[in-house]
Amino acid sequence: MAVLVAAVAFLLSGADATRAQAEFSAQDARAIEFGKEIFKVKANCQFCHKWDASGDTGYGGHALSLRKTALPPEQFAEVVRCGRLSTGMPFHDRLAYTDKRCFGVTREEVGKDLPPMGEFLSAREIDAVVRYLFAKAVGRGASTYEECVDFWGKETRQCEPMKK
Amino acid sequence: MKKLVFAGGLMISLLAVSAFTPMRAADMTFERALNASKEPQNWLLHHGSFEGYRFSRLKDINTDTVKNLKPVFSVALGGFESGGRYKFGNLEGTPIVEDGIMYVTDGWGSVYAIDVSSGKKGVIKWKFDPGVDRPWAGDVACCGVNNRGVALWKDRVISIALDGRLFSLNKATGETVWERKVADPAIAETLTLAPLVIRDIGIVGVAGGEFGVRGWIDATDLNTGKQLWRTYTIPGAGDPGNETWKDGKERWKHGGGSVWETATYDAESDTFYQGIGNAGPDWDPEYRPGDNKWAASVLAISPNDGKIRWGYQYTPNDPFDFDEISEHPLINAKVNGEDRKLVVHAARNGFYYALDRANGSFVLGKQYVDQLNWTPGLDPKTGRPLNYNPATDVQEYAPGSHSSRAKPKNERLCPSHFGGKNWQPTAYNPELNLLFIPSVEGCNFLETVEQKDFVDQGGTIQPRERFAGGAQKTTERLYGSLKAVDPATGEIKSRLKLDYPNFAGALATAGNLVFLGQADGSFTAYDAKSLQELWSFNVGSGINAPAVSYSVNGKQYIAVLVGSRQSPFVTGMAPELKNTSTASMLYVFGL
Repeated sequence: MAVLVAAVAFLLSGADATRAQAEFSAQDARAIEFGKEIFKVKANCQFCHKWDASGDTGYGGHALSLRKTALPPEQFAEVVRCGRLSTGMPFHDRLAYTDKRCFGVTREEVGKDLPPMGEFLSAREIDAVVRYLFAKAVGRGASTYEECVDFWGKETRQCEPMKK
Repeated sequence: MKKLVFAGGLMISLLAVSAFTPMRAADMTFERALNASKEPQNWLLHHGSFEGYRFSRLKDINTDTVKNLKPVFSVALGGFESGGRYKFGNLEGTPIVEDGIMYVTDGWGSVYAIDVSSGKKGVIKWKFDPGVDRPWAGDVACCGVNNRGVALWKDRVISIALDGRLFSLNKATGETVWERKVADPAIAETLTLAPLVIRDIGIVGVAGGEFGVRGWIDATDLNTGKQLWRTYTIPGAGDPGNETWKDGKERWKHGGGSVWETATYDAESDTFYQGIGNAGPDWDPEYRPGDNKWAASVLAISPNDGKIRWGYQYTPNDPFDFDEISEHPLINAKVNGEDRKLVVHAARNGFYYALDRANGSFVLGKQYVDQLNWTPGLDPKTGRPLNYNPATDVQEYAPGSHSSRAKPKNERLCPSHFGGKNWQPTAYNPELNLLFIPSVEGCNFLETVEQKDFVDQGGTIQPRERFAGGAQKTTERLYGSLKAVDPATGEIKSRLKLDYPNFAGALATAGNLVFLGQADGSFTAYDAKSLQELWSFNVGSGINAPAVSYSVNGKQYIAVLVGSRQSPFVTGMAPELKNTSTASMLYVFGL
């Protein structure tokens, strides 16, 4: 019986995933999933911005809501690459501020306003995390139970409080 | 088979066991705990002794011989997996060692019983994995996936997991005898501290001061696994201290005062001394006018019933996040010619305090950090910050040191909100009468964001959401220090600047050494008097845990957990650490 329940649950979760990804091409879906892992683990953006990118306070600093950002993807990607001057938002481009690629200024010119160093990301990774956020968070209202399960999976109590 | 168990050259038990029964060490009794220093071959208690000294009486490794110290074996552990909002599990545990078996934990609460008796390798006898729901617990851990170690009781190992469970494990096999849900992640409660065992009472406290918990200390009858008592660190309506929450909206119900490091215990008065965390929300003190007892305090508590004998608050209406959860060593000293029984504390707020441990009266206080700008000093009679104003409900400490609703960004806070001394424990050498304080040095920035109420108080904040009333920003490079302080005067006898803020904690030994790990993986022995470096070995991954010393077959060892990925607030300003990797290792050193 337990095996049967587990098998059904597996099939259902597969079906859910299929439906969720139907909006995107297979290639897009892969890039978005890759971007999610950057956001969740590799660059650990969620530590400060919260799992749903709605922003937060606390030890991660006063992190803005990315759901409410007005930046177009190109400028958004620039913030990921370069961070935000004199804030806790880190830069993720290994070469940021070594030349004038970020806001036209170098490390020396920025001085004490230099943002912290984040996890270094490749251009492909930055592209993926931006695609993930624009696909799943930017411009959306308050996060939903379904979005929570999409992010964390079903094998955790994490989304229970959001269940209606 | 039959096996003789020796301890310190004395035969302490003779156990006849069948071929199918694992070898059983002596039971951990209260008598042994009280006399832990008489078993220097073992490291039986979290702080080495109930008094909180982290001092080993072993001295084969000493100022003369330490140059020959070398790694003798290491053991790979697990638990560095991501979960919740954290990329890595962390290692902050203090190993417990009994008769050649070492008990260590990883951040996700797995307990490893490691046979170190050969001195040549560590063999994991058993591993207990509590199976934590990682997103559920890890998303409401304020500051990392942490577990600071186990306690021994009778033939059991008492351990905790981040998701709020307390376990009684069979010491020989690791099997669960019982488990008790003590803290509830549904309201952002977690457990990270090593349990304190007094007689048959297991004492833990709740973490979650950045998520709107109301702090408590909880006691379990270890014979039954049932709760004995729970004492809230933030007093409820009608209890003494509740009047220091003057908001009129019962905001004490989410007032913080978390507890995440193990207390010290005075057998003579049967009292334990528990450091208490910051008030919540951290950085919006206008949300919680009043002194906010017993946040940022120490409480003296009776272990039998949880009654508070006295409390002393270090930073009233704390606008900095200066929680004072770390250890409170018990030291007898002559102060101004008078014998005093002290409880002392190197506080996160940057001052060293000595209090009378019978009644909590202030004896002395002195700045120990390099830079401190939030108050000009302490009142010599009361120990209150000199700029504390009893006539006001929202304290205005030094201008620019903290943020407020009117001025949401501060100018600069020294020491940074990390401290001073954060959780990382001091060590005390009673033979030299020196307290070794490993600390964080430097400054950072605070921001106030007006805190919204919880849903149960008519607001919008849901349980498990952040409740910090603002944010911190660390854009200056922090550094660290090790200072040797005379506990009777607070005078700094010697000092050493460290390249990195210290989050590891110290070990002192009768060989007149102090051992300390650092963020860059260096593990170093210092001369206890001069703090001159005598020996160092780089383990290749950051250290966030204090070392212990033990011996097997008469040979002394030093052991430390290694491998924590350092916080972004350390690496973000230290380019040379940028590419260091995390690991999860036990390192053991010997001559």
